[in-house]
Amino acid sequence: MNPAPGVYQGAADVIAALMLLLEFGMLRQALVRDQVRLYAAQSAMISVLAVVIAADRNLPDLYALAALSAALKVFAVPLVLRRLLGPPAVEETRGVAGSYTLSPASAVLASIVLAAFGFFCFGSLGIHGADVPALALSVAGAMVFVAFALMIVRRDVASQAIGFFSLENAVSLAALVLAAELPLLLETAFLFDLLLAVVVFGMLIRAHHSRSESLSTADLTRLRG
Amino acid sequence: MSAAVPIPVIQLLQVLTVALGAPGLMGVIAKVEARLQGRRGPRVLQPYYDLAKLCRKEALAPSGASWFFLIAPPAAVAAYLTIPLLIPVLTTYGLPLGYMGDILGGGFLLSLASFLVATAALETGSPYAQLGSSRAKTFSAITEPVVLFVVFTVALLTGTDLPYALSATVRSSAGQVVRPAHLLASAALFMVILHETGRIPVETHTGTNEFGMIEEARSFEHSGPYLALLRWGSMLKQFILFTILADVFLAPWGLASTQRLGAVLLAIVALLAKAAVVGCVVAVIDDSFAKLRLFKITEYASAAFLLAVLGVFTLYLGGG
Repeated sequence: MNPAPGVYQGAADVIAALMLLLEFGMLRQALVRDQVRLYAAQSAMISVLAVVIAADRNLPDLYALAALSAALKVFAVPLVLRRLLGPPAVEETRGVAGSYTLSPASAVLASIVLAAFGFFCFGSLGIHGADVPALALSVAGAMVFVAFALMIVRRDVASQAIGFFSLENAVSLAALVLAAELPLLLETAFLFDLLLAVVVFGMLIRAHHSRSESLSTADLTRLRG
Repeated sequence: MSAAVPIPVIQLLQVLTVALGAPGLMGVIAKVEARLQGRRGPRVLQPYYDLAKLCRKEALAPSGASWFFLIAPPAAVAAYLTIPLLIPVLTTYGLPLGYMGDILGGGFLLSLASFLVATAALETGSPYAQLGSSRAKTFSAITEPVVLFVVFTVALLTGTDLPYALSATVRSSAGQVVRPAHLLASAALFMVILHETGRIPVETHTGTNEFGMIEEARSFEHSGPYLALLRWGSMLKQFILFTILADVFLAPWGLASTQRLGAVLLAIVALLAKAAVVGCVVAVIDDSFAKLRLFKITEYASAAFLLAVLGVFTLYLGGG
């Protein structure tokens, strides 16, 4: 019989598993607006996880981090993305909807294999400790691979940006469960990395759209334009 | 202190609770669904009256149909009524006949009943009944891996595939309840149950649109007491699946841990209440979502498969 982890570890593991499911949801969603919603939900999960860890290990810094992370990733980034995308009706014509290179079911099946590889890789590291939810760490590994899959199977700039942002969520998850006592200054610096990524992807989306009137990357077949 | 109930009587009560409670559960779901749609809805006891009415009607068989057409409905009901002997319906402790089959044994009986009904529908020569059988078997094939992965999860959690063992494991600590593998397997099982009971988003349970029918189309050619048995069979299947979800996976509390009459009666009430709660959730889903187009059902099944596979991964590869 497989022994059960404690309630704290169980809660952390469940939140991590929900984040992974949301990652699969992003992979499956046809419209970027729905992906943005799922990204906001995933980011909310990581804030909840920060609060759970803060309460369990008595780390008041993490409450501040949770609030900052929620303000940035649950509200600001999704808002900026929605503004960049324009009204919902335009999405169809911009080459975003249905920009799959694989069918949704095949993409999910391929991602299941990648997730298994992620689980296996991080599980093999053998990181154990009283305060380390080992499963949450493995889930973070699986999320990294599924986020990469999302960036690969979609041929539009917006979905690739979402994939990249969710990749950052996976890294945050791993950082939270492994090194919760990291100084607040460093954690905040990571968040600013995300801001930089938002600016870069924002410029990319605008530049690409002004050049080709589309967000699709299917026509980008030459290295020099 | 109340008197002790003999074990064989408890075993019989398990079957009787399922047999008599199943139509009532269907009535509760229909009532809740109607209320949510702003209608008064049928009486909760309506399914009992419907079954009684059908039993009084004449039974007709299509010309050319063999004895199998007539034997299938009672055989399917017999298969369904055997399952309550194998799963924890009223007690936390295993009853003598409870160990004659594991989860796979219960699954085999469910599949056997479904096979009998599908084959009887094929006997009729009716295009709609055959279409229903063909669809039911096709979609069963794609939900089968989900069920297998749920069984794997149970086996990894408990070291056995006995429903009583999982029920005891879930009751043993709060850590077992919040375990991702357990929650993912439960969610996958719930999705399979929605599929198996012909509910939204897979099928319109009360619909008469033949093009979207799967399970409902199979009983088109049966009539009278045989149709009553088929209807009762689908009610039994629903009650059994809800019991497995509630008593084995989600809420194995309220079961009798002794043979005392009071505890057993309380367990009956608790089971009916738990099944009604699951039924209310199903009714809310029925009223909140649209039916999926037929070729989208594979995507629904793949979502359930994803949950079940991740459940196994978290245990086998993730160490959770």
